[in-house]
Amino acid sequence: MSRAWKSPVAARDTAPTPAAQQQLLPFAEPAPLVTPLSVTPTAVRRLWFCICLPNLPLEACRSSHEAFAIVEEQHGIHRVLQTDPKAAAAGVMRGQSANAALALLPALKLEERSPVREQQVLEALATWLERFSSFVSIAEKDVLLLEIAGSLRLFGGLPSLRQKISQGLSQQGFSAAMAIAPTPLAATWLARAGRRACIRVEENLAPALRKLPLACMNWPAGQRASLAGMGISTIGDCLRLPREGFARRFGVERLLELDRALGQLPDPRDSWRAAERFCADYEMTEEQSDRDLLLNICRELLSSHEQFLLARQLGTQRLCFSFFHLKSVATELYLGSALADRSAARWFDLLTIRFDTVRLPEPVIAVRLRSGLSQALQAETARLCFSSKGGSQKRRYSIAQLAERLIARIGNHSVNALGMVAEHRPEYAWNAQDPLSDWSSSTLTTQDGVRRPLWMLPKPTLLATDDGYPLHSGCRLTLLQGPERLETGWWDEQGISRDYYTAMNGAGIRLWIFRNRQRTPDWYLHGIFG
Amino acid sequence: MSLEKLLENPRVWRGSSQLDSRPGLASGYPKLDRCLPGGGWPLEALTEILIGQYGIGELRLLMPALAQLSSEETHAPHGDSGDYAEPGWIAWVAPPFQPYAPALQQCGIDLSRMLIVRPKDDSELLWSAEQALSSGTCAAVLLWPDKLDDQASRRLQLAAEKGHSWAIAFRPLAARQQPSAAALRLELQSTERGTRVHILKSRGGRPTVLDNLL
Repeated sequence: MSRAWKSPVAARDTAPTPAAQQQLLPFAEPAPLVTPLSVTPTAVRRLWFCICLPNLPLEACRSSHEAFAIVEEQHGIHRVLQTDPKAAAAGVMRGQSANAALALLPALKLEERSPVREQQVLEALATWLERFSSFVSIAEKDVLLLEIAGSLRLFGGLPSLRQKISQGLSQQGFSAAMAIAPTPLAATWLARAGRRACIRVEENLAPALRKLPLACMNWPAGQRASLAGMGISTIGDCLRLPREGFARRFGVERLLELDRALGQLPDPRDSWRAAERFCADYEMTEEQSDRDLLLNICRELLSSHEQFLLARQLGTQRLCFSFFHLKSVATELYLGSALADRSAARWFDLLTIRFDTVRLPEPVIAVRLRSGLSQALQAETARLCFSSKGGSQKRRYSIAQLAERLIARIGNHSVNALGMVAEHRPEYAWNAQDPLSDWSSSTLTTQDGVRRPLWMLPKPTLLATDDGYPLHSGCRLTLLQGPERLETGWWDEQGISRDYYTAMNGAGIRLWIFRNRQRTPDWYLHGIFG
Repeated sequence: MSLEKLLENPRVWRGSSQLDSRPGLASGYPKLDRCLPGGGWPLEALTEILIGQYGIGELRLLMPALAQLSSEETHAPHGDSGDYAEPGWIAWVAPPFQPYAPALQQCGIDLSRMLIVRPKDDSELLWSAEQALSSGTCAAVLLWPDKLDDQASRRLQLAAEKGHSWAIAFRPLAARQQPSAAALRLELQSTERGTRVHILKSRGGRPTVLDNLL
């Protein structure tokens, strides 16, 4: 009986199909024979891990509400699709209309099925699964596939890997059916049939598949019904049918599917590639203005952000939180860090500092976290610490961390470092540098000799004069030193021509003043010696 | 109750405990050092400098000490064997004018160790100063608060102790009447013969007037 379904190579060897089976599907003309390409089984052994999420519509909806059900519109009527245990205990069942369900359980919360949300959850799961395999594929709208042949060694064998995955899934609140098989389709069907199968060699594949019911294949209901009408209820029954007739009746695609499942045809899959930048939303069921609650949501987002970066060995220097409101424009919070960082705790620390200063115009309905450009993380070497004291008084954090904390609270332009510029004009001889970038510790040295004032006025202020002598706080200044002539700057049209003096005012304070030589010979105060 | 136990109570104050104060940081002015109990600026504490107007010499007074702090290879906290060979930073919180980089360099200060912070109001100023002091990365934090009450000065003093940092607050002369937790309070006045430094309060020392210091 198993001889009837021939492998492509074998099929050509014994060309004519047995007459007895021809009679089963009597077609006048011989159907165009769909001959699978003669592909020798690939040398690389592959093993597919399939995760099927039958309760995805329910689990994708993160509702804190007890007793709720997912409804889907069918022919204009909302019907219950899935229920949580509490609703099920009250008698709410799949297929009931929404009204009937509410009549049974007035406290029931109904949620419309959202394929978009399910897709997002599936993508998030695929991203999470990337830690177990380099090849993750979203096969169908509730099926994920992992190629695990290459991961077995790393994770210490199949049982351990399987346990890690199933543990992770249940921790995230997903109930999954899993199966392992050498072909992706076989793994999918086994999982969907609810068999916790683990088939590692291709020889065992066909016997295992034969027993599966047709329902696991997701074929159109009409085709399944007509197959059932023919007395065919398992895949094994299908395989016994003549190829030509089967292809003709149910389409070539179905035949090819069976071939792929058995590993007689290659079955290439798309590999899932997660986004390079992190962007995640947290939607709330109702508006919230409680700051602690919002911070907790942000913490959750940050820890998934950390996981995201961890999987890629990346860090980021910029983060943006958006708090969405129903009526107002979203409130955006930008956070910066001196070092490429992924640690959720450190980002959260910055966020709490920043969040204190933010006024939210109205309650928040959703929070989004976007990360800036990510960069490869520079691994730090941990210090060897042999001292018995255990470094009791370690520095709590570095200057970069201090700078980013200050910036988070008081703003980006309020914190800076100092640098020197090779310039003779006093205003341009220094610059303020961004403390979060790697500022250059300039090796430029000033010429000794002429002292410069420690305090510089942001702009030279005009001094009143008395008979040509400069005045400060009402009395004449005594010139102590000077003049020192500083001139030109024609290259950027900010040229100067000034004579600088050191002067003393009546209170004994030494000032740095200059006389403008360009237009009017006015006196200006430019600095204080401090 | 044993005597030792009684003495452990923080409410018991003993004058002798002030005597074993840590050595101070040489100010660069020997005359001043002689009047300060540790032989220099009391580090890990708050120093208040009261001035009538800016530019009277308040920065000149500090420059030698700051230059030393910024160039020291290890500003090791006490008790630690200098695991982190990171020189101390100097934070300027809300300076009234722009600290002029070339002049700072002339005074021997390492410019790459300066952090200028410009908070918007007094509460941000105190927050920033406290953060900088307790972070353990700043060797000195200079601040110019508009108002500094008793409680705030105590907080700064505690933050300085915690972060092994030196806090220097510049305050107007009117603050002389206010109580303060500072370990050292100086008043600067300019006279015809130069700047007079008046030590108003010195923990473990005694008030002194130093004429013609700068």
